[in-house]
Order: sequence, then C-alpha cells, then structure tokens
Amino acid sequence: MNPIHANSLRGLRAALVVASLGWLAAACGGGAAVEENPVTSAPPAAGYSGPPPASQDVQAFKLNVWDNLQANNRCGSCHGEGGQAPSFVRRDDINLAYQAANGIVNLNDPRSSRMVGKVGGGHNCWLAADSACADQLTVWIRNWAGATVGGAREITLLPPPLRDVGASKSFPASPGSFATTVHPLLEQYCSRCHVSAGQPAQSPFFAERDVDLAYAAARPRINLDAPELSRFVVRLREEFHNCWGDCAQNANAMEAAIRQFADSVPVTQVDPTLLVSKALSLYEGVVASGGNRFDSNVIALFEFKTGTGTVAYDTSGVEPAANLNFSGDVEWVGGWGVNVRSGKLQSSTTGSRKLHDLIKATGEYSIEAWVAPANVVQEDAYVVSYSGGTTARNFTLGQTMYDYDFMNRSSTTGANGAPQLSTPSARQVLQATLQHVVATYDPVEGRRIYVNGELVTNRDPQGGGSLADWNDTFALVLGNEVSGNRQWQGVIRLVALHNRSLSQPQIQQNFEAGVGERFYMLFSVAHLTDIPDSYVLLEASQFDSYGYLFEKPSVVRLTPGAAPSTLDGLRVQGVRLGINGAEAKIGQAFVSVDATVNAAGYESPTGFPLTSIGTVIGLDKGPALDQFFLTFEQIAGRSRAYTEDPPIPPPPPADGVPQPRVGLRTFERIAASMAEMTGVPRSDPAVDETYQRVKQQLPTADGIEGFLSSHQIGVAQMAIEVCNSLVDDPGRRAAFFPGFNFAAPAAQAFDTAPERELVIGPLVARAVGSGLATQPSADEIRAELESLMGRLTACGAGCSANRTATVVKASCAAVLGSATTLLQ
Amino acid sequence: MKRDRRNPDGHVIRIAASALLAATLFAGAAEAGPREQAKRMHDRVAGVPPSATTLDAMAADIGAGRAQDAAFRAMEHPAFYSVTLKNLAMPWTNRDRTVFAPLNDYVATFIGMVRDDVPMNELLSADILYVGGGVSGVPAPSASSNAHYEELERRHADLKETLQRRTQSGTYGFPAEAAAGVMTTRAAAEAFFVAGTNRAMFRFTLLNHLCHDLEELQDGTRQADRIRQDVSRSPGGDSRLFLNNCVTCHAGMDPLAQAFAYHDWDEAQGRMVYTPGQVRPKYSINADTFRPGYVTRSDRWDNYWRAGHNALLGWSPVLPGSGAGAASLGAELGNSEAFASCQVEKVFRTVCLRTPTDAADRARVASMVSSFRSGGYRLKQVFADSAAYCMGE
Repeated sequence: MNPIHANSLRGLRAALVVASLGWLAAACGGGAAVEENPVTSAPPAAGYSGPPPASQDVQAFKLNVWDNLQANNRCGSCHGEGGQAPSFVRRDDINLAYQAANGIVNLNDPRSSRMVGKVGGGHNCWLAADSACADQLTVWIRNWAGATVGGAREITLLPPPLRDVGASKSFPASPGSFATTVHPLLEQYCSRCHVSAGQPAQSPFFAERDVDLAYAAARPRINLDAPELSRFVVRLREEFHNCWGDCAQNANAMEAAIRQFADSVPVTQVDPTLLVSKALSLYEGVVASGGNRFDSNVIALFEFKTGTGTVAYDTSGVEPAANLNFSGDVEWVGGWGVNVRSGKLQSSTTGSRKLHDLIKATGEYSIEAWVAPANVVQEDAYVVSYSGGTTARNFTLGQTMYDYDFMNRSSTTGANGAPQLSTPSARQVLQATLQHVVATYDPVEGRRIYVNGELVTNRDPQGGGSLADWNDTFALVLGNEVSGNRQWQGVIRLVALHNRSLSQPQIQQNFEAGVGERFYMLFSVAHLTDIPDSYVLLEASQFDSYGYLFEKPSVVRLTPGAAPSTLDGLRVQGVRLGINGAEAKIGQAFVSVDATVNAAGYESPTGFPLTSIGTVIGLDKGPALDQFFLTFEQIAGRSRAYTEDPPIPPPPPADGVPQPRVGLRTFERIAASMAEMTGVPRSDPAVDETYQRVKQQLPTADGIEGFLSSHQIGVAQMAIEVCNSLVDDPGRRAAFFPGFNFAAPAAQAFDTAPERELVIGPLVARAVGSGLATQPSADEIRAELESLMGRLTACGAGCSANRTATVVKASCAAVLGSATTLLQ
Repeated sequence: MKRDRRNPDGHVIRIAASALLAATLFAGAAEAGPREQAKRMHDRVAGVPPSATTLDAMAADIGAGRAQDAAFRAMEHPAFYSVTLKNLAMPWTNRDRTVFAPLNDYVATFIGMVRDDVPMNELLSADILYVGGGVSGVPAPSASSNAHYEELERRHADLKETLQRRTQSGTYGFPAEAAAGVMTTRAAAEAFFVAGTNRAMFRFTLLNHLCHDLEELQDGTRQADRIRQDVSRSPGGDSRLFLNNCVTCHAGMDPLAQAFAYHDWDEAQGRMVYTPGQVRPKYSINADTFRPGYVTRSDRWDNYWRAGHNALLGWSPVLPGSGAGAASLGAELGNSEAFASCQVEKVFRTVCLRTPTDAADRARVASMVSSFRSGGYRLKQVFADSAAYCMGE
C-alpha cells in the first residue's frame, strides 16, 4: 500500500472514530459518554533508529514531546512522515520532526502553542476531555522548553470588545416557574444519569427530583436572555446529546420550555442615571498567567479543570496518567475543583504505580494540595492517600479537626505510616477555608507540613528513613481511604505530587501562584473619562461554584505609546460592581475607593492601583453568561450621588402575654433581706459560709414561674443559719426578742400567750411588717407559730436544756424562710 | 452534718422553716395602697424590705403623689448599690454572663457612676474608675489584679459609702486615650480582649449595652471593604455561606471593632495592654484565609450602620460616625437611642420584674428613654420612674 494512502486511511479512520463519538454516547443524559482513543494499529518498534538528535534541544524535544506523541493512538497515526503536515512525530528523522514541531509551538508560552490550541479545541484529543489533552501537551512542551520557560511572564493586556451594559434577566432566587416548565423535561429525560443517585451518576445533577437542587445545577445551563443559546438546547440541537426522539424536535421542546420560564422572569433594566463602564464577561478577560508554579518534579498533577464527567485527569505529563475515577457523591466545582461529600476519587493501581517507582527512586516526595475542608470537626479523614486500606499505606495526608495529619511508611515508621505527624492542635492551622497544604518527606528530616507557605510542624520525632518497604500495589485516592471508611469532606482544587521534597521557597512560590483560572478584566471607561483606551482593570476569577473574586482594581491606559501622565488627575471614587444589569447587592468592597491617578504611582502594565482590597460577589448565571460592569460615584468630571432611603421602622409588636406582677426575690436579695430583718450582718462567718455554699441554689431569676423546690431548701438553709446566729448571740437575741427568758426551760418559756408574743411579735413586726394588705395577716402567722410552738414543746419536762432556744430558732426560721421573704 | 452537731434539733427547725410558705405564697396578690406600693417599691429597688420608719415615710410620699421621691428614698439603702446594681451589672462583665462572679472594677465603676449621677452616656467612653476607699486591709487597686475588689466584697464593704471616683489612666497607668469607660476596665479586658480578635469586646458591648446581638443587626447590604483577612469568603468551599451569613455581620462589625486595634489582654501579666500606633498581632491572624481582605493599620473605626436598617439604632446626629480609638467608639454607642433604650429596659426589667409587654409599657419606656436622654442620663431617675410605674395599682 502506498504509505501516503495508508496514512490517509489511518487519519480518516481516526477522524471517523472521533466524529462518531457523539453518536456513541450511552443512553443517558448529561455529558456525552466520550471514549478515549483506542490504539488503532500496532505501536512502532520500541526505540528510535533514525539519525541522532542534532542538538541538546532536539534531544529535549524527543524526550519530552516526541516520545509522548508518536504513538498511534495520539498524533503518530497522522502526523508521521508522509502523513498530514506538519509531520512533527515523523519517525524517520527526529531532526526533521523537531523542525516541523518548531512551527507549531511557542516555547516562551507553551499554553499558547498552536499544537495545544488545536488539541484543546477538540482536534483528535486522545482523552475524553479536550482540556486534559491540552494540559498534558502544555506540560510536555514546557518540559521541552525547560528552564527557558517559567520566569516572570509579561502580561499582555489586549482591549476587549466594547459592549454597552444591556438590560438583562437574572435568575430569581427561588425556582419559580422553572418547576413547571424546564424541570419536568429534565426530570423525565435526563434523570437516568444527571441525578446524584444515577447509574452512572453524571454531574451536574440538574435532573434531581428536588426542584431546588435541580434549579441550582441547571442555572448555568440556561440562557434567560437567549433561550436558544442555552446549553440544554445546544446540547440537543447541535451535539445530538442523548435525544429522546428527534433531536431537532427535542431541542425545540427544550427551547420552548426555557423560553416559557424566561418569559416569567422580568428584565433588569440598567438604571440610566448610573455612571457605568462598558460590559464584559469573565471569559472576555485576558487570561492571567496563573503565576509561576514550581513543577519541575511533578509526577502527578490534578487541576480538576474538566468540569464534567467522572474522571479527573492527571495532567502531569508523566506516563502513565494516574487518572482518578469518581465514586459516590463527588461533584465538580466551578473555577476548577471537586467537592467531595461522601465518596472518593481513586486511581487504578497500575496508574498509581508510577508514584511508587518514581518516589522510591528519589527517596523523597511532596504532597501538595489546595483544599477547603468542609468543616473542622471531621476526624480520621483522609485527603490524599496512597494506600491499601486502613492498616497499610505508603503515605496519607489527613485531617483531624483543626489538624493536618501526615503518615508515611518508612524504615522509621510502621507499615501504616504510624506514628503520624500532625500540626500542633493549639495553633488550629486547619480552617474550613481554601488552604495550600504541602506535606514533604525527605530521608534526613523526615516529614514536614506547610500550610499557606509556612512550616507548621515541629521536627519529625521519627526522622527520615528509607522508603524501601513501599508497596507498589496500592492506589492513589482522594477524599477517603481506598476501603471507603475514612471519609473526608471538602473541596479539592488542586493536587500535585512531586518526587522531591519541595523547599520552603518552592512551596512559597506555589502558594503565591494560587489556584484556578484568573482573568484580567478591562472595563472600558473611555466614554466617561474622554481619555481614549482608558480602562479600569480588575483581576477576577471564579472563586467557587457560587461566587466570583474581584481584586486589585487599577486604572490603565492601553493606547500604545501614551504616557501614564495622560491619566494624571483622573479621579475615581465609589466603584461598585454590577452584574447582569444591576449593581450587586452584597459584597461591594470598592465603594470606599477615592483615588486620583498620578503617573508616579502608575505601574506598568497593570496601571494605577486603586486599592489592594478584594471581594467576592455571588454568581448568577454562570461564568460564561454573567455580564459584569462597573459603576462610579465619581469619575473624571462626572458624578452620580448615592443616597439611601431611611429605613422604615418596624411596626410595634403585638401585645405580649400578661406577665406576673410579682416575682421571686433572688439569691443575694434574700441574704440581704434576712440580714435586714434580723440585724444579723451578712459578714457573720457562719451566715456568710452558708450563703457562699447555697447561693447558687437560691433563685437566680425573679420569674415566679421558675420557682423550684430546691430554691425553698436553699432559702430554708439560709433562714436557719441566720436565726441560729441571731438566737445564739446573747446580745442580738436580747435586742431582737426583748424580755424573753431564754434561760427558762421550754415547758415554761412558752406556756403563756404573752411569753409567746415576745417571740412572735418581733418576728412579725420585722419580717412581715404591719398594715400591709399584700402580706399574710399577722393573726394567721401568729396562729401558725403558736401551733408550731405547741408541737415543739410537747416534750414538756423531758425537753432538752437548749429546747427553748431551738423553738425560737424554729419560729424565726419559719417566718424568715417563708414566702414573705421569697416574694417581692 | 455540721448543722446537726451544733444543734441537735436542727431537723425540727428545718421542718418549721417552710411551714409558712404555703400560707403566705399568694398573699402578694391583694390590692395595693400607698403602704403596699411603698413596700413593693423598696423590695424591688433596694432588694430588701423597708424598715418601719422608711416604709412610713415612703407611704407618705406616695400618698402625697410623690412616688419618685419614695423611690429615691429606697435608693438610699446601701443594698441598692451592693445588691441591686451589683447584680444588674455583673453579667455584663464575663462571657458566660453569670451573676456569680467576684466584684470587679467594671461593676464598681457602674455603681459609682449611678451613685454620683455621672451621665450614663459616658459609660463606654470616659476615663473613669471607681475604687474602694477607707476600708482597711484591702489591697490597692491594680492593673494586674482584681484582689482589691474581691476583698471589698469579701468584707461586705458598703459600696454606697466606700466607692471613690478615680481615672483608669491614673490608677492603672495607661494613656488617657486608652480608656473607654467600662470597656477598658480590667474585668472587661480580661473577659473580652483575651485571645481572639477583639470582636468579642464589640459583640458583648452591643449585647449588654445596646440590647442587641449581632443576629438582629445583620445587614448584608453594607460595603464589605473592611472585613478582615481572617474571615473566609468561602467557608468549606461554599461562598454562599459568606454572602448570606458572614458578610451580614462582619461588614458592619469589623470596621467598628477596629477601634480596639491597640488593645489586648496580656495573660501572663494579667493586665490590659495598649500599644498606641501599633496594631495588635491578633488583628492579622489567619491573614492567609483571604489575602485580599482588609489589613488593619490603625484604630480608625467607621460606622457603616449609620445607613441601612441599623440606622434605626438612632445614632447621634452630632457625632461624625467615625473616629480613632475605643473612646470615640464608646461615645458613638453611648449616645445612640439604642443605648439609652437599653439602659431603661434593663432597669424596667429589674424593677418591674418583666419586660415591657404591651402598648402602655412601651409608651412608658419610650417616655423614660426620652427623659433619660434629656435629663442628663441619670440612671437613678430611671429607677425612680420605673418604680413609680410598677409599684402596683
């Protein structure tokens, strides 16, 4: 066969395979079940037998790019010698392949290489996700470029399209008519896959029976302003994704449902009095370089960019890829990431084996992760683990409440990596927010944990050791143990495994680089300032599934050759963020900006900074559809006053239930009242001792409904003690009970009414008072006390010698401990 | 057991002690004339029953239509200060809001201000301190110890007589600008400046002196530029939590709590620390939680709650709504309608044993708030007005 013809056929075959993927989708809704390219012909003979590489650079190209792409299930099936141009994977001469490749790569910015763009755009990606191929290819090209790439990259700000802020529709907070328009279609036709309990469960779960859940997931896929452009419609009409009948008709039905829903949502008109910038969507911003990560020794990298499907790709470029498969309740997070609720992401043992091989080769490694733990109460929860179950592991990074834990199997630790090294509990370094965590191991120092660039662990008591005992049959797993019983909950936005122990500066560098995709958004204000090409620049990113981060606003001018001084004197005051036609209600943080641009403060290329503050505002339709703009209280010579209407006072509350007009005397009032009634000072040692002991047993609240029997016991104890001190002290008792003969035996001391009155009278007068209708009647009290005295003196001549004093104390305590004291 | 050893008939007394309870429990519901009204008034104001002569005098006052005078007569009793006011203020001075805490400078200062009719709107701003004088054997007041006040209490010192006015700066030796009324007393500093981020001082001051907790003041529409770096904008990876909850308090609270940026509690020394011009490290803890968050560089505070629905707290129109340091913040809070209303409601609650329940109660409270503000913020007058209102039919 003519080689050209044969290659053309191979190319055609590959193209057909790719083209047919859309039709091969499984019978379920939600993300075409794209399959990875099979190997379509026998791989070429191992090794390369053409002319040797002419230079070190060619050799670097061969090792990093050519070796990875020349296989038949990648570019080798078409772009070999005699195949489609450019023949950058030709096998006959590596130097010619190098020449061809040079025309389609940008070694200064690998991501912008033509080759990457082509694959990322869907051109015969060998993985199920185009972005994953692009990422892998970027890494390979970057590795080829080596040290020449990775330095500070120049930010190139390009003017965005100028678009006025249009009237727009925003999603209502509650589902509203979504429940009766779009949701029935989704539930009927998409719920086999796009529900959390689906088989397979295919995120996003917009077909959940729970309308609120479905609505939250469906919003980014509905275009209220242009229903025909909704992802739900496009997916059916143009991508033929699991239509339930005729795709065109299905798409029409979906569009009609969305239109019906959209018609029920009022249009948000832009307030014409606002001073507004031009409008921009997030993706119309200039992609920020993403900082410069130190990735020289990455052997597995998960950036979670795909956003759909159930596979998180290892884009380290180190073969084989240790791709992670979702199981359980694991969802993609906007702005790159996964949210693990209950489940895990696990690689195969064969895919994971490279960790064993490459780490054992160096004897050291680092686990790097950007994570946001869901809470600070979970224990024995594993974030990143390379293990075989709860009793055997190579390494694990886990969480115990406020601590990160690090287990590593070495010659100085057990087969389960114990004892683990943890961050100091007292420091509570683990917080339920996005954190950069790096666990490093080297054979000298052993384990170390860095959080947000800072070393937080003390010296590893186990020290370093050999990793010779590592097991190559374990699997890499995130969010759990492979056995599924060490559940960790939270968001993972990046995991990188390095087969070197990262140094503090390298860790700091990666921390500074941040995570996720960031954009420079240029909001044109030329129509407000009358200065051509003047913009307010903001750094923006999708913060998580529910919000955007905006930070570092600055004023910049893009006119080539225009000096910063042309912006001198430009005053910017009171900046607010707008989204979809209205200023965001919550999260405005640039209102206090009041700056006048001067050339001295102008920094190229980002311009004159307005503030270093950043803020988060809520996501509405999703990053592809949300349209942002800025408003100003003052810019250049224009101003717009902001006034707030005074708040409306709430109506007076309804009358409450009538409350008792009497209450309990509380603890110290009781003690003070007893002192007041008897003249026994509170400083009396015995009284004070009893008070200190029972004060918390006395009523602490005055509500009469809160009266307890235990209160009365406490009152009685106090009354007894006070009366005891009163009667046992000759001076006090003589003053209180003048004329009463305490020396007389009990049988005689109380045998006449006048004698008894010598006790009862003072008690009533001092403790009850006279002429008070709200107090019990003196006669009733007198009768009760007389009766009491009678009972207590019934022992007659047989009474003990101190019975008289005892009867007085009892009478005193009966009055003091009664409701006359307790109530107020 | 101790009781029984001293008095073998103790059980007899114990049985007798509650014998009269049932007979007298409901006696309080009877009709009230001037004597009954005077008795209730004294019970509620002083916490103890009146002597016969005081009762007669108060009843005469009431009979002559001078109910407030009767109340002032009740306030002459030392227990008004040592019991009623002390127990009213004690829960404000600790995080558990318990009344079972030792006497401290916060409570003593409050008592002294009431006694001397110091305008109560200075409670959170004045350089003021009350100490015990003339009590032998009591250690001197100290910035690093509460022993002075504990000993006063242990000796049952008559606070009405012994409290003497001083300044915090003079007694504790810190700059006058560090003082902000009871907020910078040793007790308050120990309770609310300890550890944390100093937001506790603001929150508990709101709770105790404006009678509002943060939940009631949530307002997410305030600008979020002053929320510090330690507040996660995406707790657990979900920014909805921040946008729906966290921001609603922090947007207003953080720029106000910045007033305490130079205040701290030194646990080792047991005293408040004030470092003018130097923001305490606690204001920058967890700075990596949200790095574009606000970085505190001074004790400048701003009241964003002057707009939005928290304008209903009634901020003073003659104050600027911003300033530097705790004292000016204390003045901002202390001159609000909410502060005055809160003081009146607390007194009403103490004297009437209930919260304002119906339109009549609310109208009376509103009138008391008005006269409290216009009459020099004298809390004793509020006690007198409340006592007169609640002395019974």
